[in-house]
Amino acid sequence: MNAVEVRGLSRSFNGRDILRDVSFTVGHGEIFGYLGPNGAGKTTTIRILLGLLAPGSGEVRVLGSDLAADDDARARVGVLFENNGFSDRMSAADNLAYYAGLYGIDDPAERVDELLALVGLTDRRDDPVGTFSTGMKRKLGIARAILHRPEVVFLDEPSSGLDPGAQRMVRDLIVELSRREEMTVFLNSHHLDEVQRICSTVAILAGGRIRAFDSVANLTAASGRPAVTVALAGAGDRAYEAVKSLPYVTGCDVDGDRLHCTLADPAATPDLVAALVGAGFRIEEVRRSSRSLEEIYLEHVGQREGGA
Amino acid sequence: MSTFAVIARREIRLAFRNRSALIAGLIFAVWFPVMTVLGIAASAGEDMAAITAGIATVTLPVGVFMGYLFCADAFLREKRDGSIETLLCAPVSLRRLWEGKAAGVAVPAYLMSLVSAVVAIAAVSTLASAPVAAEPLLLLHLAAVVPVWILAAAGLIGAAQLALGMRENQILGFALIFGFIFLIVALQGVVPGLSLTTEAILAAVGLALLALARFIAGKVTKERIVRTIP
Repeated sequence: MNAVEVRGLSRSFNGRDILRDVSFTVGHGEIFGYLGPNGAGKTTTIRILLGLLAPGSGEVRVLGSDLAADDDARARVGVLFENNGFSDRMSAADNLAYYAGLYGIDDPAERVDELLALVGLTDRRDDPVGTFSTGMKRKLGIARAILHRPEVVFLDEPSSGLDPGAQRMVRDLIVELSRREEMTVFLNSHHLDEVQRICSTVAILAGGRIRAFDSVANLTAASGRPAVTVALAGAGDRAYEAVKSLPYVTGCDVDGDRLHCTLADPAATPDLVAALVGAGFRIEEVRRSSRSLEEIYLEHVGQREGGA
Repeated sequence: MSTFAVIARREIRLAFRNRSALIAGLIFAVWFPVMTVLGIAASAGEDMAAITAGIATVTLPVGVFMGYLFCADAFLREKRDGSIETLLCAPVSLRRLWEGKAAGVAVPAYLMSLVSAVVAIAAVSTLASAPVAAEPLLLLHLAAVVPVWILAAAGLIGAAQLALGMRENQILGFALIFGFIFLIVALQGVVPGLSLTTEAILAAVGLALLALARFIAGKVTKERIVRTIP
């Protein structure tokens, strides 16, 4: 059984289709990235999964349950929306203690202190949350989301509004949680670099439909156009002339002393290197290129926007 | 501790930290009864029954208004800033959430209405030189009728605030509060004075309103709440 299952999910608002036949699964312990432009239907999907909205058609399950109808199952799920869910007038510790009470946590004081230490807010435990920066509130929000040790946690833009240092802290925390607590993480993010770094699987949603759903490794490798970058010790232009007409080179470009070649077959990389060495060029570095998640994302979202 | 108690306790604590609501509430709880009761005392003269009835008359709308005042923080603010969405994901039923919040609103509102009653009694006793005795019916009114009406008001206003959008809430909030006050005035016109019959009728109507609030809250769905978050 998967941690999250979505089958044939559709939903419309006021006659406008927001989700159309969306299907994907998230395995236990995975960090899943859910990507898409604004208005693509990401938050609607999360709301349906959490039982806050009803599906128009199709079926959703989280840990095998329908969260809309199952209060107990909701105790096994954590969530962080764009709003952190705190009262600004209460202290960090009191806000966490409130949720600890709602989730029926044994020994809440110890757990609250443990989490405040985890997110580096121990010295602000008694300060009102209203005095916190955006980043501090976000960290506290993550602490709240995992307070009850959920099996699945839904994070909606967890890094938004954070400085690079805090973004890294959040990223490391998500990876740590997934690894140490075997927590399944459903990450809705616009930070493609962040998603590429930490997610094992991604789905790209555009125009209410899933445009791509695969592991990050497969998506970034499966370009159909294997590419190689060769760094030379000088003579880039001559090397370009030497390789551009080779039969297995489908495209070539030169940037100073760097050659960027696309190959008909990834197995042709040693042949390219041998041809360059044979022609007397000195090679400093050879690197197989793969596409970034950003390129793949823009390709799918661009297709959709171009076709819309 | 039950989730009901957890939610109610938090709302009570938040109400007592809401400085602006407390100040507004205290001003209303002092100014309105003093002005009203002194007016009643001036016209009633030595008629202590009329003065005591006047005090009872004043505390009910004060309590209902306090319920409305504290609802804005417990229900509407959480909806406006979106934090209600996080609460709806907790393993707590929507009904339990509504009950806890309404009870948490009712406690400070009730305390304010008691302050209002004490201030009214003190004002009449000192300024009008008409010492008010601890009339059992007045105590019954304060102990039973007022809290039921406050709970009903907090429950109805809270359910409406959960179910409606921001613009509708602005309109309906005023409509509800004036509806309550109109109903109180109308009932006290039908059965004037402070009597067992008056208290029984007020309590029965209050309980009916509470049942109505509970019924309406049962019809509110999470989808309705989420779709009306601004």
